[in-house]
Amino acid sequence: MHGYMHVTNNRIMSAEQIIFYIFASILTLSALGVITARNPVHAVLLLVLAFFTSAALWLLLEAEFLAITLVLVYVGAVMVLFLFVVMMLDINITRMREGFARYLPLGMLVALVIAFEMALVLGPQHFGLERVPAPMRHTAGYSNTAELGSVLYTVYLYPFEIAAAILLVAIVAAIALTLRKRTQNTRYQNPGEQVLVRREDRVRIVKMLSEQEGKRS
Amino acid sequence: MIALSDYLILGAVLFCISMAGIFLNRKNVIVLLMAIELMLLAVNMNFIAFSHYSGDIAGQIFVFFILTVAAAESAIGLAILVVLFRNIRAINVEDMDKLKG
Amino acid sequence: MNAVTHFVTPDFLPAAPEMFVLGMACLILVVDAYLSQNQRWITYTLSQLTLLGAALLTLMLHQTEPSLTFNDSFIRDAMGGVLKLFIYLVTGLVFIYSREYLKSRDLYRGEYFVLALLAVLGMMVLVSAHSLLTLYLGLELLSLSLYSMVALQRDSAVASEAAMKYFVLGAIASGMLLYGMSILYGVTGSLDLASISRGAALFTPGEAMPAEMPGGNTLFIFGLVFVIIGIAFKLGAVPFHMWIPDVYHGAPTAVTLFLGSAPKIAAFAMLMRLLAEGLGALHGEWQTMLIILSVLSMAAGNLIAIAQGNIKRMLAYSTIAHVGFLLLGILNGTLSGYGAAMFYTLVYTLMSAGGFGMILLLSRAGFEADRLEDFKGLNQRSPWYAFMMLLLMFSMAGVPPTVGFFAKLVVLQAAVEAGLVWLAAFAVLMSVIGAYYYLRIIKLMYFDKAGHDAPLVAPRDMRIALSLNSLGMLALGLFPGALLALCSRVVGTG
Repeated sequence: MHGYMHVTNNRIMSAEQIIFYIFASILTLSALGVITARNPVHAVLLLVLAFFTSAALWLLLEAEFLAITLVLVYVGAVMVLFLFVVMMLDINITRMREGFARYLPLGMLVALVIAFEMALVLGPQHFGLERVPAPMRHTAGYSNTAELGSVLYTVYLYPFEIAAAILLVAIVAAIALTLRKRTQNTRYQNPGEQVLVRREDRVRIVKMLSEQEGKRS
Repeated sequence: MIALSDYLILGAVLFCISMAGIFLNRKNVIVLLMAIELMLLAVNMNFIAFSHYSGDIAGQIFVFFILTVAAAESAIGLAILVVLFRNIRAINVEDMDKLKG
Repeated sequence: MNAVTHFVTPDFLPAAPEMFVLGMACLILVVDAYLSQNQRWITYTLSQLTLLGAALLTLMLHQTEPSLTFNDSFIRDAMGGVLKLFIYLVTGLVFIYSREYLKSRDLYRGEYFVLALLAVLGMMVLVSAHSLLTLYLGLELLSLSLYSMVALQRDSAVASEAAMKYFVLGAIASGMLLYGMSILYGVTGSLDLASISRGAALFTPGEAMPAEMPGGNTLFIFGLVFVIIGIAFKLGAVPFHMWIPDVYHGAPTAVTLFLGSAPKIAAFAMLMRLLAEGLGALHGEWQTMLIILSVLSMAAGNLIAIAQGNIKRMLAYSTIAHVGFLLLGILNGTLSGYGAAMFYTLVYTLMSAGGFGMILLLSRAGFEADRLEDFKGLNQRSPWYAFMMLLLMFSMAGVPPTVGFFAKLVVLQAAVEAGLVWLAAFAVLMSVIGAYYYLRIIKLMYFDKAGHDAPLVAPRDMRIALSLNSLGMLALGLFPGALLALCSRVVGTG
């Protein structure tokens, strides 16, 4: 299959190419949507789409583990966190896009030119199939996860430990920044105290003069 | 077959879109954070493509760590955003004007 | 399947200081949770002991021959050892200076110390990095800790604004750096700095690309541009400096003190590892870029600093100017140039720690001494500290006989050696302009009347440390030989 496609170099697109171009265009459009969407909730949802299509492209590159991680961890956790914050903060949407359209055409033009220049450097004359042939597909028994796992905990032990420290920083920082201690004014229940309460804590017997005696004196 | 250059150009396009998003967005910090996520996605695309075409697993390992760091980074970024919102009741870039000189 | 079938336990010993700091940070995190506010000194003491212990471990494990471990992703060499020792020293000073300030602002919490120690760990990882992966992870560990430290004063609008700006620009810088790294990986096929260096050695400007590397020459420069932009963002070199004044101004002064001092050493290490060790063969290409950054930084930093009324902002622009001078040493591309840049970095971090320490000394509960007017008549209030500030300002301006003069002299020599006489002349001109705003503070202290004569109150350890810090500027200026020799000796070993 490989050799055949390579040798004939025909102009008919293979199924793989069709899939690539479909996903690449979805990815590009959704990325454009993220930065132009009027509503931040739409932006987050488009970003989710961008991650999903990237995961599909990574599957084409035989990076199965990372593709699944991207969907599970990124879409499942990080994007939900984004959505959560977007919805928690009461954002004034009408104010959000003022003045955006004014810079949009020029900005897009500049970005297009830069992308074109980058594409020239990264283009087929350096990285085309003639210079970098496609690698052989792995056999059916190949496990991307096993291969990653076998080096992650051995060769890359040291970076793995640093990553753990980075996650620790994230935990400490997120708690230190956003956890609010309950102030004096907040009312809340403490079931432990409720169970342990005694009669003397709640009822106070006050000796006082009867009403009539009070009036007389 | 798909050439390495196709993936790299896709990465470059994503990178430029995210840069455009960062510089055009004068309003909303949360969209800035999303543009940064896109930027990292472009980098990841590059690493995985290079890794695949050179048959070297190190690129995928790097992406694994970028994903980890990016998750930590967005947690901290959103925490700072929440603190900022509590203080100035807005997340518009324009409202961040206390520091000037 | 080419997976590793037999796992050889790596040599953990060279990373003992890193492991110690991480372990202690976790311990402090747990211990601090059980402490009440007036027992917080335990956290403080444990943090200082952590730095001390790490320093002892680093000294014990010091050796001149570089050695690699953890599959070549970690390097222990003499330069790394010296840089780490200075990181501990400066961080220790930071802790001493900031204690009272933190107490008076309800920031005297375990998180400050834990995050600072984790930032120190990030710097250590960065200093010892020998692959793009560890370099990136060390940088992120450092940056993420710093972002959150800036925001630690939760009810301050300026602090959270500063944190947000720092975060966004820092993340963009990381993205740029990563994009450059991905290109370098694509060209050389490796994350290891030694392999990248071997790949870069095949680089031949203007000729056909080497057959074994796709895209070779063009791609190297392409990746290099992104790497340099990323580093320039992190260093705060003009035109990527816009975050520095806002962050220095908005952050609580105790945090500004930290992020204006020790991380500069880590930034120097990053420059050395990436540019000198990894891409040394591309010196001709990055020299031009660094010259542009250096010229712009020296000019913009010194000129804009004159217009500042806030001393934290003024010191921020002064930092930008100093980064320009630091690059002057690096761009030479020779060992003597690197040695000069290292000397400059170490001296600068000490000066910067002292300068922000003085602001902390003048600040009280509910009062931030960050206006230039707050230094008015300091001589009447306390002649001794006015003299200390004078030494620090002289040193920053580069007035002999303080050490700042020698630091500037050695980097200027490096620039002249590189044949860039015009650049050295420009740097001299800029430092003359820069001297104006440092000397203005001295004028305010000695020739203006004090607005009030409240006595300076500070704990004894802070007064002693600050005095030693400032006198050190004079002592190093009188006897710069030892540190200078040390820098030029260790810098070549890596």
